[in-house]
Amino acid sequence: MSNVSLRLAWRNLWRHKRRTWLTVGAMIFSNSLLVFSISLQFGSYEMMIDNTLQAFSGHIQLQHEQYLDDPKMRHNLPNIVTTAKRLRNELKLENIGARAAGFALASSRDRSYGIQILGVEPLYESRISSIPGLIKEGQFLQQDSYDEIVIGSILARNLKITIGDELTFIGSGLDNSFAAGVVRVVGIFESGIADLDRSMAEVSLAYFDDSFAMRGKGHSIAIRANNIEAVTNLQIRIEALVDNQNHLAVRHWEELQPGLKQAIQADMTSAWFMYIVLIILVAFSVLNTQLMSVLERTREFGTMMALGLKPSNLSRLVVVETSLMAGLGLLLGIAVGFVITWYLSIVGFYYPGMEEMAVKFNLPDRMYPEVSLISLTLGPGIVAFGSLVASIYPATRLYRLLPIEAMRAV
Amino acid sequence: MSSIRCIQLCKTFRQGDEIITGLDNVDIVIDEGEFVCLSGPSGSGKTTLLNAIGGLDTPDSGEIHMDGIRVDQLAKGPLADMRLHNIGFVFQAYNLIPVLTAQENVEFVMQVQGVAAAERAQKARDILKEVGLIGMEDRKPAQLSGGQQQRVAVARAIVSQPKLVLADEPTANLDTVASSKLMNLFSQLNQNYNITFIIATHDKRVMSYAKRLIKMQDGKIISDEMQTPVSGDEG
Amino acid sequence: MKGIGTINLPFRAMLVLSWRNLWRNHRRTMIMLAAISVGVWAMIFMTALMRGMVDDMLRQGIQNLPGHIQIHHPDFRNDPSIVNSIDAPSGDLLNALNDPSTKAWSTRIKVPAIIASERETRGINLLGIEPEAETIISGIGGQIIEGRFLLDRHDKGLVIGAKLAERLETRLGKRVVVISQDPENNIAERGFKVVGIYKAKMPGLEEFNVYAALGTLQTLLKIGNQISEITIVDDDFRDIEVLYQNIKQATPENLEIKAWYELDAYLKYMLNMMDGFVLVWVIIIFLALSFGLVNTLVMAVFERVREIGLIQALGMRPGMIVYQILLESLLLLLIGLGIGNLLAIITVKPLESGLDISIVAEGLAMMGASSMLYPSLTASDMILANTVVIILGILTSILPAWRAAKLDPVQAINST
Repeated sequence: MSNVSLRLAWRNLWRHKRRTWLTVGAMIFSNSLLVFSISLQFGSYEMMIDNTLQAFSGHIQLQHEQYLDDPKMRHNLPNIVTTAKRLRNELKLENIGARAAGFALASSRDRSYGIQILGVEPLYESRISSIPGLIKEGQFLQQDSYDEIVIGSILARNLKITIGDELTFIGSGLDNSFAAGVVRVVGIFESGIADLDRSMAEVSLAYFDDSFAMRGKGHSIAIRANNIEAVTNLQIRIEALVDNQNHLAVRHWEELQPGLKQAIQADMTSAWFMYIVLIILVAFSVLNTQLMSVLERTREFGTMMALGLKPSNLSRLVVVETSLMAGLGLLLGIAVGFVITWYLSIVGFYYPGMEEMAVKFNLPDRMYPEVSLISLTLGPGIVAFGSLVASIYPATRLYRLLPIEAMRAV
Repeated sequence: MSSIRCIQLCKTFRQGDEIITGLDNVDIVIDEGEFVCLSGPSGSGKTTLLNAIGGLDTPDSGEIHMDGIRVDQLAKGPLADMRLHNIGFVFQAYNLIPVLTAQENVEFVMQVQGVAAAERAQKARDILKEVGLIGMEDRKPAQLSGGQQQRVAVARAIVSQPKLVLADEPTANLDTVASSKLMNLFSQLNQNYNITFIIATHDKRVMSYAKRLIKMQDGKIISDEMQTPVSGDEG
Repeated sequence: MKGIGTINLPFRAMLVLSWRNLWRNHRRTMIMLAAISVGVWAMIFMTALMRGMVDDMLRQGIQNLPGHIQIHHPDFRNDPSIVNSIDAPSGDLLNALNDPSTKAWSTRIKVPAIIASERETRGINLLGIEPEAETIISGIGGQIIEGRFLLDRHDKGLVIGAKLAERLETRLGKRVVVISQDPENNIAERGFKVVGIYKAKMPGLEEFNVYAALGTLQTLLKIGNQISEITIVDDDFRDIEVLYQNIKQATPENLEIKAWYELDAYLKYMLNMMDGFVLVWVIIIFLALSFGLVNTLVMAVFERVREIGLIQALGMRPGMIVYQILLESLLLLLIGLGIGNLLAIITVKPLESGLDISIVAEGLAMMGASSMLYPSLTASDMILANTVVIILGILTSILPAWRAAKLDPVQAINST
């Protein structure tokens, strides 16, 4: 594209300042809205994923292949502690811990509730799960903790017990024997996730092993990757390390928490429906403007054709004009969107009544949009593309022009 | 009764860096029933004077009296009313509302005036007949020739029997035959209804129809004389 | 000189003028109409989907509570133990509950318990219910997929969820043991035969809620005629205030009475959020449209400058010009709204029988919605969308209209 026609296109654009600005304004509006909401989406998804996975499940788990669908005592892995240790050494990653899980009836002096008891490696659990860090009263288990237990805050309230109190549990061991014990409450955690706070308790893996007659077996090895992008890669490496073990499955968090992934998908779908509508409306705006601009210049185009320009030259001019307009909308839209989003990513974004929503999805009560290259360019890029598509019709109309008739047009 | 008196009218315009004199101390009196032609080269101030009299434009200084009312001091709304009820306009071109038919264009002013539908339609038909446009009532302006369009404009200008018709280069876009037809029509209307006509033109043949010829140059009146018009019967 | 009064072009003449002007540039009008129609369609379509989903969440949530209004021991919600039981309703409260304005009510026992099969043990929510009333309130009776539901308040059977049966490795006809505690803190234990298996819309509930007959549990838990809660339903969950107040009046001071929106803050939030969402969505779409609308009107004014000058010269007052442009805009909006509404109705109606979105079922379950989406086209949402478009549309059109009226006739006529 030569300099002259670029200059021509630019000047043509400003022949109707108000019209051009209105069209660019529609782009700026949509683009900044898209930048903001895509950033907010990314930010909240990431937070949802992080908070949910960190709370408990971790990014990857090694499990018996049937455990995911049928979490029973007998679907276990042998030598769980040594396997976890081996993984830590081989992967040079400390965020790996073995776990065993059982069901029990927990009784305090005046209440009984059915709970999930989890045996964990105290030293490593704090590297996988956020629960050790969410102790509200007392402290988390120590490496040498034995008959001590950490319970959720709602469970503590329901059982009417507090730090230092004793709790009796009765369940059944791996060999169907009677599993029972008396443990002292050393910590109460509050994760904000009602299910965990209501029905989960953690003891040391060693104590769990003895009480539930596990004989070194366990139910999962939970792994937390350094960041969410590294998970798939890590999963492949782990699969390579353990591929000689029977009945073992390496589970990605998407399998462990299918609801999370799907909630995000459902939200994505509805969000994209809205984005597409916005983009279509902008495209209509561009179509309108460019068609008008072509129609009102019929006489001028006729003159240019009489001078020897081909319809293709003219339609290219229209496309260049649209590109300039789209480029302007893109840059200004990103700029406005960036400023708004960046500001909110610092001070946080809040709307009334959000707490209830936040609790349900493990989010903090203020949302922080995440500004990234993708969130900045994705929406505006599609808007610009849509604008160019919209200029096709006006541009092709030029092929139907006949110079003489065009010059006569008013 | 319907006399127009302009006293010391002045008007200047800016065009780029230049200041152009539109009207320079114009004094003029036009009585009811006169048939006046304003002539002069472009830029002589004839259109400016016409617009000032019609209340489309306000002078920088000076006074315009029409039937004892200071036209130059009226607010926008009353000015619009004055034009609606007392003045008919015929412009050089684009006189008609493109989306309305000839009949509807003529009726338009009466609609704004609030004339009842039946009376309006009858008057419009009659006047279109008078200007020689029988059978063209339902055509849109784009389907009429330039001369026909101008005659619709005249029909509209006179349909509500204004005291004054202002016409700015009404024949500029017309051929000779159409021009003389239009001027004959003006003369007849002037005679039959005693309507005052002020026509700005630089067409010699148009001037020959006038009873009074005013020549302008650089915003000043350089001559103002009565003449015997050519007969309205020819052409 | 004739009188200088207020002049008025008759509405019909104005309408003709506006209508014909609208179609002068039919391409532009068609594009703008397409934009408005798509925008309005999107407003209403999306709102209907979201409304359907939120209604479903609310209904599910309310069925899980269950009921629109609940009466408890004041400590029960914090400490859902058998200790915090209440007496079965009597006196004023009973009269209020039996009043014909109450659609249905039921008494229930709700206690934490343990269920054990030969192979597995689980913690559950043990519900003692009155079978007939419970079915009206929580719909459980209709969800039986195997066996039967409980027959009366002394039925000896147990109804469990399909998922729980799987976890316990038990099935219809087998015996399971239910263990809880009585108010004296003694273990209350009893064998039950599984007489029915249900499937819930929310998979989580299936593992958790276990139903037994009220009378049977009262005997097991040694609480005589006591119950954990009274649940009451009205015809429409959105409109319960009258019933709520009536029953509140009759409820003894020592009991706690709560409506669904007080019992589950998330549900109330969803309802509010939905209303907020509709408004925000409608306004966003409108704003995206407004640029095009203003543009169209500005262009319409721009290309008609000479003509506007002409009608001003003819004596049409500036106000009339504003009026005419606004009328033109209103016509455009009305046609666009008509098409948009029609499109929305045409596209939503066939979906009202249900849209299968089970591909994200577990995600929806996380939000509290089921995997069938029933779009809900409500009159109030449609009215809101249409009103916003018309009011804001007219407001947006005022600027171009006002500019048209401000045109100087001399310049306008002489413009090329």
